[in-house]
Amino acid sequence: MLITKVKELKEIEKFFNGKTYIFKCFGCKEVYFPEEEITGLINEKKDKILGVARVDYLCRKDFSKLYIEKNISYIEKADFIFVFSCGVGVQTVSKLIENKIVIPGCDTYYLNGFQGLNVLECDCQQCGECYLNYTGGICPITSCSKGLLNGACGGSKNGKCEVNSEMDCGWILIYEKLKKIGKLDVIKKYIKPRNYELYEKF
Amino acid sequence: MNYNILDYTKYRLKPKEELEELFKESGEIFIIWCKKCYKKFEEEVPECKELNDVLNNYQKKIIACLGIDFLCNSYLTKKKINELIESKIDIFGIISCGLGIQTVAKLIGNKKAIALSDTIPQSGNATSISGYHGIALEEEKCGACGQCYLEITGGICPIVECSKSLINGPCGGSKNGKCEVNPDKDCAWVKIYERLKKQKRVFSKEIKIRNYNKFTYGEKSKISFVSIENRKEGFYGGVHPLQRKEITENIPVEKFPSPEYLIVFLSQHTGLPAKPIVRIGERVKVGQKIGEIQGFISSSIHSPVSGKVISIEEKMHPSLLKMSLAIIIENDFLEEIDPSIKPFSDCENMKKEELIEIIKEKGIVGLGGAMFPTHVKLSPPKPVDTLIVNGCECEPYLNGDNRLMIEFSEEIFQGIKVVRKILDVKNVIIGIEENKPLSIENMKKVVDSSIIVKELKTKYPEGAEKILIKALLGRVVPDRGLPFDVGVVVLNVATIFSIYQAIFKGTPLFERIVTVSGENCIRPGNYLIKIGTPLKNIVDYCFTQNLELDNFKLYMGGPMMGIEQKNLDTSVIKGTTGYTLIRKSPVSFSRENECIKCGRCVDVCPMELYPLYYVFYGKREMWDECVNYNVKNCIECGCCEYICSSKIKILDFIKEAKKYANNKS
Repeated sequence: MLITKVKELKEIEKFFNGKTYIFKCFGCKEVYFPEEEITGLINEKKDKILGVARVDYLCRKDFSKLYIEKNISYIEKADFIFVFSCGVGVQTVSKLIENKIVIPGCDTYYLNGFQGLNVLECDCQQCGECYLNYTGGICPITSCSKGLLNGACGGSKNGKCEVNSEMDCGWILIYEKLKKIGKLDVIKKYIKPRNYELYEKF
Repeated sequence: MNYNILDYTKYRLKPKEELEELFKESGEIFIIWCKKCYKKFEEEVPECKELNDVLNNYQKKIIACLGIDFLCNSYLTKKKINELIESKIDIFGIISCGLGIQTVAKLIGNKKAIALSDTIPQSGNATSISGYHGIALEEEKCGACGQCYLEITGGICPIVECSKSLINGPCGGSKNGKCEVNPDKDCAWVKIYERLKKQKRVFSKEIKIRNYNKFTYGEKSKISFVSIENRKEGFYGGVHPLQRKEITENIPVEKFPSPEYLIVFLSQHTGLPAKPIVRIGERVKVGQKIGEIQGFISSSIHSPVSGKVISIEEKMHPSLLKMSLAIIIENDFLEEIDPSIKPFSDCENMKKEELIEIIKEKGIVGLGGAMFPTHVKLSPPKPVDTLIVNGCECEPYLNGDNRLMIEFSEEIFQGIKVVRKILDVKNVIIGIEENKPLSIENMKKVVDSSIIVKELKTKYPEGAEKILIKALLGRVVPDRGLPFDVGVVVLNVATIFSIYQAIFKGTPLFERIVTVSGENCIRPGNYLIKIGTPLKNIVDYCFTQNLELDNFKLYMGGPMMGIEQKNLDTSVIKGTTGYTLIRKSPVSFSRENECIKCGRCVDVCPMELYPLYYVFYGKREMWDECVNYNVKNCIECGCCEYICSSKIKILDFIKEAKKYANNKS
């Protein structure tokens, strides 16, 4: 799941020297979208803006193409094209308008869960070799900040992670879960090192 | 449109040796598998072939297989497997991506979950943990680094495209434009160079360092928490469209100029149309009954003005969208009032039956849009313990109910007292969304302690009967049931107000508050409009002259549930909550677009349905299957169509399926 935050003003301010055209992606509605901040910014820079397109799901190429065709007369006059969306949206627009400078107005961050269905409590990093059988259904890669596979690092204090004291230690959660289901012996099993090559294969 | 759809978030079965080891364990296994997301929605391939082949060897150990859509949706999954969790089965084999496995493992608590599948990595880049996002199934990926570099790289992401995720230029190892780590892959930095050349730019020399700590765990979990809680609020599903209520929020109700001619439809309610009891040429007075009830579910119609009946002919009905009989009245502007309009003496001591008779006689119907005759609603066949007064008005743009609660709160309270007497209930709850603080304040001021005014979080479609009951009382109306099945009657505040008017003033329902708003609206406002006022008068008065409906859509109601009006030769009916003008999207919604199975519609459906199946089976005209997927429970709130990432006209399919289901039964 991706979310966006508007970049700091000082980072993008210089681009408002020229004429700009703005794309606002309103796609992943119901997730997290800094609509108000963007509207505020647009109002502030009104005189430099040639037009604003609010687009649903900018990342869907067929649709964004239509928006661009519709507004091509403005877009051609613009020096810069601002895109307020996640990185996928920015890349889609810049691929469609290759000869214009496309500026990302937002930084993209990552939340738990894949795209589509809303933000989830659990997360998957698509390691390609599911370890959930040995950990009582709690993922050691996403719930341990070090992604350790063979038990805790030893640094956790009072059940909290040493890297981030707000985070629960994943391996303590795993231990508790296995104890609850009476499978504590599973924890003794040696798990082979993770094969990062799987990432490249696909 | 043809999409080049990539297969996305997926899983595959674990290698054979590993599976064999897993199946060695004692006990029988119940298999739950996810039907996969982010793929072309095809003719269902149940228990995929390959799966069967492998599992055949272990047939004796398998109790059964259950396929579930979007296994990671823990709310719906829980509902589906609840029985299984409570049964004796204690080992579950799960075939899904990591999210689904974790979700089920959490749900089944002390029972054992076995992961039978591995998630297929999609990132293609070892240095970024998650470069596979975006709603559409396109090649672009985003690594969510939190410090977008796309501006300096001409729109090609160095984080996911470069194997080494370098951000200050190429490593120097690429050969003939190919990556040295993976010779099948283009060197991202060569691509970036070419792209920048097209834009007559060179790469800026400023050295950048990536900050891996930009988005802290705390921030992330806070946003996740808020997002998850927001979704759960009150009821499952729902959406938050832009409200745009500020346009007419603070405009007091004003009278709309009386028109010269009125088109009063005989069908302004659910059920049989009224029977005309006036003849052409006859003179009518304000409030005179001109249409008589026909049958049990029906309602009477009254003349909103004094004047002459000049015709009884067919006109385009605004909600049925077909020709329907209407009485055309020429207004003489004398405003001569019918003698039947006079306050009832002694209305405080009237009996229940007398009150219902007045409501029936005065033509009161549900004013929230459904137009169900109120006298029928007030005689429920089952015992009722709660009255819910619906002041949610969750539709964007509309403010009629809001203004009513602000300006006529005392009258609404009197009306509630009447209904409470009729239904003989103790519990009365007024549900108002929190985006109407003035209404909440005013209603709280006037009501006594026996009535609860409840603030609800703003979420569409809070105002739908069944959803409101769920949000306020936690009661779930059964399949194809009605509110009285769970002991509730829901009435809209506008209906309550018209009940007040009928009982205390003797006024029949011949005018109502209508919000006119939207784009290109020069006189937005909340108007007290006479039923039968031609739409053309309203358009001429409120919108720019010579309105072209090529670029705009005019809705009767709000943009979510409103009915598009293509023909202006129609009029205001009792169920008209507003008129909203919305600019048409440059991207047209169509039936043909392909579903990519993103699952958003399932995520937002407040009735907990699976709208994507209506599209899939609808396209193949397999309406029976739609009925199996409970299409009859759909309240047509439009959340699925609003969120659809393929912009499919889902409601079209639903309406057709419902028509089929109704004809069948």
